[in-house]
Amino acid sequence: MWAQILEQLINGLVLGGIYALIAVGYTMVYGIIQLINFAHGEIYMFGAYIALMLITVGTPFWIALPLSMLLCAILGMFIDFIAYKPLRNAPRLSALITAIGISLALQNLARMIWSARPRQFPSEVLPSFFLSEVTDTGKVINAVPLPGGGILPFRDVFIFLLAVVLMIVLNMLIYLTKIGKAMRACAQNQVASNLMGIKTNQVIAATFAIGSALGAVAGIMVGLSEVVTPTMGYYKGVAAFAAAVLGGIGSISGAIIGGIVIGIAEVFGADIHSGYRIAFAYIIMILVILIRPSGIFGKATSKRA
Amino acid sequence: MRDKLTPRNIILCLCVCSLPLLIYGIDGIEKFLSSYRIGFGWPGGDYVIRILVRACLYMLLAVGLNIVCGFTGLLDLGYVAFYLIGGYTAGILMQRLGVPYWFALPIAMAHGTIWGLLRGIPTLRLTGDYFAIVTFGFAELFFRIIRNEQWLTGIPNGQLRGIPAPSIFGITFDQNWHNYYHILILLILVVFLNYRLQNSRVGRAWVAIREDEQAAESMGINVGRYKSLAFAVSAAIGAIGGAFIAQFQVNISAPFFEFWESILILCMVVLGGMGSIRGAMLGAAILGSLGEILREVLTRFTDFPELAGSRYLIFGIILILLMRFRPGGLIYKKT
Repeated sequence: MWAQILEQLINGLVLGGIYALIAVGYTMVYGIIQLINFAHGEIYMFGAYIALMLITVGTPFWIALPLSMLLCAILGMFIDFIAYKPLRNAPRLSALITAIGISLALQNLARMIWSARPRQFPSEVLPSFFLSEVTDTGKVINAVPLPGGGILPFRDVFIFLLAVVLMIVLNMLIYLTKIGKAMRACAQNQVASNLMGIKTNQVIAATFAIGSALGAVAGIMVGLSEVVTPTMGYYKGVAAFAAAVLGGIGSISGAIIGGIVIGIAEVFGADIHSGYRIAFAYIIMILVILIRPSGIFGKATSKRA
Repeated sequence: MRDKLTPRNIILCLCVCSLPLLIYGIDGIEKFLSSYRIGFGWPGGDYVIRILVRACLYMLLAVGLNIVCGFTGLLDLGYVAFYLIGGYTAGILMQRLGVPYWFALPIAMAHGTIWGLLRGIPTLRLTGDYFAIVTFGFAELFFRIIRNEQWLTGIPNGQLRGIPAPSIFGITFDQNWHNYYHILILLILVVFLNYRLQNSRVGRAWVAIREDEQAAESMGINVGRYKSLAFAVSAAIGAIGGAFIAQFQVNISAPFFEFWESILILCMVVLGGMGSIRGAMLGAAILGSLGEILREVLTRFTDFPELAGSRYLIFGIILILLMRFRPGGLIYKKT
């Protein structure tokens, strides 16, 4: 019983780490331009597919990962440049509808290029420690044995550690570097920071780049533990958005905590009723919006019109 | 209503009413010509009428969504929930309990209205993004409930089969052209109601709420009440659409009511121009039939029939381009 709970808790933490990585992308963009970037889930999906393609043609995993991050960062900036930048002064609803349009277009583009068939990372080209198994003799390979007979694959340990490292790097970037300072300034008051000589459009582009790169990592992580499909961005994207809302949209530490809470809730929720796996994230999200719209860490603002 | 009974409008009316006759006429010509081996590749009258019925159904739904999105200016991403409620309410009543369609339709409407009002209670004070997200969440929950709760619906996996066609005095309305007139009458009633609402005190209150909620409130408009009314009317129209599709499709399953259906209807409203009834109808007529037309054209004239499967790609690009270059939609209404 307790062993099972421990195992699920660990699964939830791993999933939560992935959610946190995606949620950071939502929350950073929302913090700066107050836009729910619906296309973020699709960028994350593209990250998984790009890495998958690179690995299939023979690129080593350790090169495919940063390359996919880079390409997704470029994709994120490109989307901002062609679609969101012209709408900076347009009504908020226009930008939101554009975001839905991009999400729709990218998802179906992926369906055209890669077909709707679920794909998996080819295990033979992945680093060997990702392949964990229990042999017939009861020997555990590439995994940490858990009490109660379960195992914790090194792959999951790697996913969680990578998520933690990236979060630390992100926090250092935001609080210790010049661009991070500019981002925080833009989130507080865009007009004022523009007047102070901050090139707002560049800062926004950088925000999209960072968020998209982190999203790409999350996509690869999901690809490693589950499958890659064109609709993966939609399901995980909404759950990650729920995490961002839970933590208080606009707050990065909130997104991390929110991600972990949603991840654990989803894993335990799936135990209760597997048909509602994702729905638990939605319920939490709706309750948070209704009861405490500013989230756990969000500043209490008057009205988000 | 500004439209009068001008000769142009009467001719238009006659054309719309006699479309099935025309289409089956072409069917006959095709049959005659193909006996001389010179057929022109007509896809068949029933098929064309089914496309027409779908386009009309989407027009009905778009007009319904337009009330919340266009008039009161709230982005509803979960409209499909009412479509689903209408569909399953009518479907289950007819197929499992044997209730005649003519009773199932108003019950479905009432059920949709109730949920529209219930959803309104928590969302009344939300605006913008948060309203959009909560409506989306509600629709997803309904979708999951239909898929999972067999004790409630009595059907496994939300797969409802063999919904009987409506009948009256022993005549069963199961032909495609029956359905065409059926949806046409529903559509005309709904559009008429919409025009009457738009030009009434209620319609003006809705637009006032859209333009400035606080100003509207200070002018004595009971914002909560008028918003609830908008939710209720919009939900009822969605449920009518659902009840219709239940008997039209005979078998319905959960994927009919997925999130992307909501987005598709939203695309239609945006394409035509939010807040314009004609715009919503035009948008629905274009997008509602575009998919089938694309499939027909692509399979016949190109080597890439699979392109038709990704018509949503085109819808997405349409949304992006519209917001960029013509945010007011095709029918732009100056206010």
